[in-house]
Amino acid sequence: MVGPFAWFKWEALFRDWTVFAEGLKMTITVSVLALTLALILGIVFGVLGASQWTIAKVVSRVYVEFIQNTPLVIQVFFLYHGLPYMGVMLPVFVVGVVGVGVYHGAYIAEVVRAGISSIHRGQMEAALSQGFSFWGAMRHIILPQASRIVLPPLTNQAVNLIKNTSVLAMVAGGDLMYRADSWSSDNIYYGPAYVVVGLLYLLLCLPLATLTRRLERKAGVST
Amino acid sequence: MKKVGIVLTSLLLMVGLVSGCGSTAPAATPGATTGQSTDVKAIKDKGVLKVGVKVDVPKFGYKDPKTGKTEGFEIDLANAISKKIGTEKIETSAVTAKTRGPLLDSGDVDLVIATFTVTDERKKSYNFSDAYFTDGVRLLVKKSAGINSLKDLDGKKIGVAQSATSKKAIQEQADKVGAKVTFLEFATYPEIKTALDSGRVDCFSVDGAILLGYLDDSTTILADSFSPQDYGVASKKGNDGLAKVVNETIADLKKSGELNKMIQKWGIK
Repeated sequence: MVGPFAWFKWEALFRDWTVFAEGLKMTITVSVLALTLALILGIVFGVLGASQWTIAKVVSRVYVEFIQNTPLVIQVFFLYHGLPYMGVMLPVFVVGVVGVGVYHGAYIAEVVRAGISSIHRGQMEAALSQGFSFWGAMRHIILPQASRIVLPPLTNQAVNLIKNTSVLAMVAGGDLMYRADSWSSDNIYYGPAYVVVGLLYLLLCLPLATLTRRLERKAGVST
Repeated sequence: MKKVGIVLTSLLLMVGLVSGCGSTAPAATPGATTGQSTDVKAIKDKGVLKVGVKVDVPKFGYKDPKTGKTEGFEIDLANAISKKIGTEKIETSAVTAKTRGPLLDSGDVDLVIATFTVTDERKKSYNFSDAYFTDGVRLLVKKSAGINSLKDLDGKKIGVAQSATSKKAIQEQADKVGAKVTFLEFATYPEIKTALDSGRVDCFSVDGAILLGYLDDSTTILADSFSPQDYGVASKKGNDGLAKVVNETIADLKKSGELNKMIQKWGIK
């Protein structure tokens, strides 16, 4: 009988390997850019959230809560199908970078905020008394110390971010998941397609997850 | 040393995953091979014919949100097959282009009657019946776009469903008339319509009869129609008795003119 993993289906997959290579390229590009955006947003809003200014704290809170408490799928769907009605037609690539970047920015903001508040407030007080500005103290005193604690959960976020780029499959994003859907729905050779794509995601994420563990050990955070 | 260990472990894991998945496939099917019509008898004994149908294709298989009932040409066909087998009722479950293959393989459904286009590649994996409906690929565009033929779609984006027989058909035709088109694939038809409405795609292209269900005041279907596609009833390889009964039913329906009546009833031709 012909099972979902019959050998001729694997052969077809290896013949069409460029389809998956293109998807992998797209997934990696979107991941790298989205991670950059998420880091920028995360650090800015994380610092704002840990600051003393009420307005900044409120803004940061609203961003984090709004993004964390709505599904990524809806956010991406809005960027893709909603914005065109307001005259903004973002290319799907930008939808991916912005959608996933903003989503994980909110999580990274919380990670950064937690990292900052784990540094004793005496550090900030001492820095301010020495004439540092708030941002100067953050940059030179607080963030370097917090980064040791923050790095392991950050790499964990990077892993999640890579996996979440697969949401692009829903809006014809051309990423790895989309290619697998497209290729396998044509010939119904879904077995090999999803196994291979799963392995490719594993290949992308596993090194990062390993890095997380190493960083954790280095930071002295026991697991 | 540790690093090597990690790499090795992950490699082992991958190998395990691939071979593990590979070996489950043959193990799942042994009972189905014995005898010609044991598979049909098994269904008859159960008393229920389980059919995978579309629920988002008006007139073929559509779940009416008001009544909650799934109705359409393909459901009628399923009922006719059920009658022939002698089962009391059918049990429909919703399938999409992505799930209909896996559901057949796992045995969750006995048949898939879901605007399933027959291709040689697909015949390798499943039994397909003779065609019960043949339809050409057509193009739905916004009236305001000023598109009158495939040629006008030069440089435009076409939304197709993830079951790319229509993609191949349009590509061939577009090459002939010298139009350069790109394709965006979506999982379901409503998603393509959403993309057309929001301007993400300039054209919604699937089989003509399916498009009829999505025609509204602001859109129009172009006269172009190409590469007729055969719809077949799919069943699992090995359930050959069932495939035979399906083919007999379709032949009977064709001979008696009943099939045409069903097509007229749903207004899909």
